[in-house]
Amino acid sequence: MRNLLRRLAGRYGLFLGVAAAVMAGFEFVICAVVSSIDVPALFAELMKSVPQVMKDLVGQYIGGFGPADLLAFGWNHPVALAIGGAVAVVLASRAVAGEIEAGTLELVLSQPISRGRYFAGQVAFAAAALAVLSLAGAAATFAGERLYGLDALGTRSLLLLAANFFLLQAAWFGVTLLVSVFGREAGRVAFAGFLVALLSYLIQVIAEIWPKAAFLRPYSPNAYYDPRVIIKTGALPAGSVAVLAGIAVAGAALSFWRFKRRDIP
Amino acid sequence: MNAPPLAVDDLAKRYGPVRALAGVSFSVEAGEVFGYLGPNGAGKTTTLRIILGLVHASAGGVTVFGGAPADPRTRREIGYLPGEMRLYGEMTGGRLLDYFAGFRNAGPPVLRARLLAALGLEPPDLARRVKFLSHGTRQKIGLVIAMQHDPQLLLLDEPTTGLDPLVQKAFRDLVLEFAARGRAVFFSSHVLSEVEAVCGRVAILRAGKLVAVESVDDLRARMLRRLEVRFGGDAPLDLGTVAGVARTEVEGKDARLWIRGDVNPVLRRIAREEVERFVFPEAELEDIFLTYYRGGG
Repeated sequence: MRNLLRRLAGRYGLFLGVAAAVMAGFEFVICAVVSSIDVPALFAELMKSVPQVMKDLVGQYIGGFGPADLLAFGWNHPVALAIGGAVAVVLASRAVAGEIEAGTLELVLSQPISRGRYFAGQVAFAAAALAVLSLAGAAATFAGERLYGLDALGTRSLLLLAANFFLLQAAWFGVTLLVSVFGREAGRVAFAGFLVALLSYLIQVIAEIWPKAAFLRPYSPNAYYDPRVIIKTGALPAGSVAVLAGIAVAGAALSFWRFKRRDIP
Repeated sequence: MNAPPLAVDDLAKRYGPVRALAGVSFSVEAGEVFGYLGPNGAGKTTTLRIILGLVHASAGGVTVFGGAPADPRTRREIGYLPGEMRLYGEMTGGRLLDYFAGFRNAGPPVLRARLLAALGLEPPDLARRVKFLSHGTRQKIGLVIAMQHDPQLLLLDEPTTGLDPLVQKAFRDLVLEFAARGRAVFFSSHVLSEVEAVCGRVAILRAGKLVAVESVDDLRARMLRRLEVRFGGDAPLDLGTVAGVARTEVEGKDARLWIRGDVNPVLRRIAREEVERFVFPEAELEDIFLTYYRGGG
């Protein structure tokens, strides 16, 4: 399996490096912005002129205008979610469907490696990649806080935030992998994965701002990724861990079940 | 190892309503080059993928040295060249060889240097990314991947595709050398002359069913071969009575003859006439199928 992991590192090293750098850069910029302007006063001024629905959205999403609230918002920003989702979806779509599309899986699985080990290698690599991405973001927030003297999030909260982010992306990886083991084209699988992640995000947003749609909130995995809760309570709710980890594990387990049985290519 | 290198028993594969294979049985012995001959779409690649555990059989079974193909320990004994050679384009040839050798944890690949020399792969070829290599060079790299660890069973699917004639000759010599050292070689192809050149026995597959399994010598003796002649005058009408002629079609000066076995009686008869054109093409798969479907088998 070491052989496989080395190849994956070579194949995706640049992509992951860029993703981690963008993630870290984004979180660092958030720190810089929070430190450089009087954000609470600025938002209060802005809120005077926006419609109620926007006030509700901002209120729900950010929770408050203190430095900690805004740093947490940086972790729930569409840019951060898109970077994490891209890494999860790309790795999952290429793990099986992409290799079949490229015609390389046939030769790899004709070698003395079981489907189980191949699959475990792909999952282990993705887990490591998502962990690196999450920790890169956390490290950047930590560094930004120290550099700009924000001291808003404790190390524990920051690590919990990164863990919650990791679990959400792991869930997207599991879901996309399940599509990947049925597919033959990475592009279509990736599109399906992105679509699911986007729908989940939109459902959560709609459920937040439209009371009549609030009942939808528990059905969006994004509802279990909530940096505000971590900041307020200093804890990652066990329910959120269970739901996101459950999606990730169930997705991977069902994928493996199917992968063992499918014909290659 | 007492079990044969490869045993295929009553193998069947269906894709929904489509029958890809039905009732396919044969075995390949150590030291043998076994041909697997059939037109495109006959089921040759499906058979190979079942042998490797990549495709699941609908019925029947395959054993490799008595073990299940899905077991990685079994596949340790196998070298495989796919029919459509697709490699990681971003890797160099050298890295690819190392990558595939790395699955075996069995030390340096013992035959690599010899194969590189025999197939004419130079260090610059191995230093370039695969996506920049020609089809033929990629095929050579595929052959080295399949053979570099000196496998006990070599599975080759259309192995000479894209190779120039000189390299084809070198490759055939390598295959024969493999067999001479007691390795079993399963050689799938749709080119009859290629199979004739290296195989001792051959299985003939058509539309997913085995037409015959026999030695190449027997096949040659039984095979109908087509001969086309244009005479200076009208074609003689007694050609059908000459020894070895199984069937004739005569139209004016042109005659088409199907011959089984020794061609000399026919050549002697034709030599008595004035001949304008004489064509005796390489036997093709269709000639084999004629042999079996027109009462020749």
